[in-house]
Amino acid sequence: MRKLSRALALENSALYITLVAVFLLMALLNGEKFFSAQNLGSMAYQLPVIGLLSVGMMIAMLTGGINLSIIANANLNGILVWLVLEAFMGRERMAEAGVGVIILAVIAGFLGSVVVGFVNGFLISIFEIPAILVTLGTMTLVGGLNIVITKGYTITGFPPALNFIGNGKIFGFIPFPIILFLAAVAVTSVILNRTRFGFSLYMMGANPVAAEYSSVDIPKITIMQYIFSAFFASLTSLVMIGQLNSVKASYAESYLLVAVLASFFGGVDPLGGFGRIGGVLAATIILQFISSGLNLLRMDPFMITAMWGAIVILVIFAKALAGYVKRRWSGRPT
Amino acid sequence: MTVENLLKRRELILAVLIVLLCIGTTYINPNFLSLENITDLLKAFTVLGIFSLGVLMVIVSGGFDVSFTAVAQVTQYGIVALMIHMGGGNIYLAIGGAVLFGLVLGLVNGAIIHFFRMPAIIVTIATQSLFYGIMYVVTEGRLIYDIPGYFWEFADARVGEITSAEGFGYGFSLVTVLWVVLGVLLYLFLAYTKLGRSVYAIGGNRISAERIGFNLCRTTLFVYGAMGAIAGFAGMVHVAIVQSVIPNSIVGTEMQVIAAVVLGGASVTGGKGTVLGTFMGVLLFAILSNSLTLLKISSYYYNVFTGLIILVSITANAIQSQRQKRRRVRVQIEPVLAEERHS
Repeated sequence: MRKLSRALALENSALYITLVAVFLLMALLNGEKFFSAQNLGSMAYQLPVIGLLSVGMMIAMLTGGINLSIIANANLNGILVWLVLEAFMGRERMAEAGVGVIILAVIAGFLGSVVVGFVNGFLISIFEIPAILVTLGTMTLVGGLNIVITKGYTITGFPPALNFIGNGKIFGFIPFPIILFLAAVAVTSVILNRTRFGFSLYMMGANPVAAEYSSVDIPKITIMQYIFSAFFASLTSLVMIGQLNSVKASYAESYLLVAVLASFFGGVDPLGGFGRIGGVLAATIILQFISSGLNLLRMDPFMITAMWGAIVILVIFAKALAGYVKRRWSGRPT
Repeated sequence: MTVENLLKRRELILAVLIVLLCIGTTYINPNFLSLENITDLLKAFTVLGIFSLGVLMVIVSGGFDVSFTAVAQVTQYGIVALMIHMGGGNIYLAIGGAVLFGLVLGLVNGAIIHFFRMPAIIVTIATQSLFYGIMYVVTEGRLIYDIPGYFWEFADARVGEITSAEGFGYGFSLVTVLWVVLGVLLYLFLAYTKLGRSVYAIGGNRISAERIGFNLCRTTLFVYGAMGAIAGFAGMVHVAIVQSVIPNSIVGTEMQVIAAVVLGGASVTGGKGTVLGTFMGVLLFAILSNSLTLLKISSYYYNVFTGLIILVSITANAIQSQRQKRRRVRVQIEPVLAEERHS
């Protein structure tokens, strides 16, 4: 067990070293521009969306699952918030909504996410269907509902009080979403590392049969897991509402696969059982440094997409190499 | 034997669904069964259908691929740009080049997945971003409108054309016929060749397959290489039908193709899936989308129905296989108890 934790720490320390290296590289390439208030601000502004989605994805991947429905779920959440606001305030006076109505709207959105998460967890655990299939189905269904409700339009005009979550600043310079993201990471870290639920997740990922025989209630934990994952869709949605002041059925769709990559990059084993939240946090920050740094160099945004793909393939090569070297050092026959 | 029955049942359910949908739609709008509508519908879903054949093979082998749309997009752009640049050329050269180009990109996937023992979904997400990103950077996302004329001829060619009294030509599109021919070839390949059987074998149980003597490396490389080649071909069919190269028109449809294959009864855990089932999965999606149009239901509902059909079908499948598993366990471990329960 100690060996295991040491191996994990080693893997994460490689990530932290990469983080520092990428930071230095981008600082070197961009000079002062990288440390300008504007760049730091925009990084802190962009990081939460991809970060929240990655953590939500990581929670599903810990048991070897995946949550393809997370983006559709986030958009549904935003649309439900809008529906409640519209029902109470009408389309024109939406910006004047009081705190009570806003809280009600946020709760409605959250309940929608809980339902999607519950359906995912229920189908995955009770009927033993692979997570990728179930969430592919719910992704299509929920995405379809989003289109039906919005008719494909972008819906704008949210109350400023709600937009504060995605757009506000504390003390005049710290973007609120980054605080929200870090708080969510801290809470998740406690849940994953200090609670029975968190431990059960790792156990189910590492060895589902052993977990079942250790009296882990697999359906209950799986349903909780996917609701937990959906909760991050809710948070993402609230941040996106504030940043874009609008909702749409197809927002952030391209982030789906990026979230899977970020979790993997952060050391989460797609087969389940391994991965620390610190690693995912480091991975999302690295990806943000790279995309902001390259953006400052006026690099094509698609170049950045290509780079992310290339980085993951490099990580795969590096892991294979590290495994080979480790085997050589320990002197065991390969 | 039981597995075979199960598969037959899946295809039967799909067939019943398709027939019901056809009858219902025809009842409300008789235009549905017109030859023109059917041939147009099949042509519109040919690209998805060709993709689905490659995806079927990947999924049967226990793998996964989300990069095939990027492969199709990249080969499409590359080959069309090359043909225009060189001038001349013909459709055979274009398709041959696209198949080769796709094959190479697919082999990259296969090699990384096999030699680094990485989950296929991670590798193919990464290569999708990589291929697609590079293409966009190189081409700056420019559209190509003036595609060579032989692409037009390829898309308009018909097999067994009949001319109506009004002088309109009807008949199945050549591209649709090619899709069906490819499907038949794939069926024969999967059923009657050693390499084809090995695809099922490594999907069903990797370790047993290796011990029996199947070459995992060869099969894995073949499966992803063939997926790439098929994607290259589909890219050519796509450009012929759309009659322009739009750099973001294929990427993003991968989940729909995978859904059609899964609906057709292929198991994402590998080892299970048939060409006929996949064909019917695609057909069901095609008819569904057409029915919505003909019934004047807003096309916004298409994804809602698709999602519902996927969820219901995978759940029905899961219930069936769970029941089967339970029955098997009872027979093997506690036959006496089972008998007692009956008496």
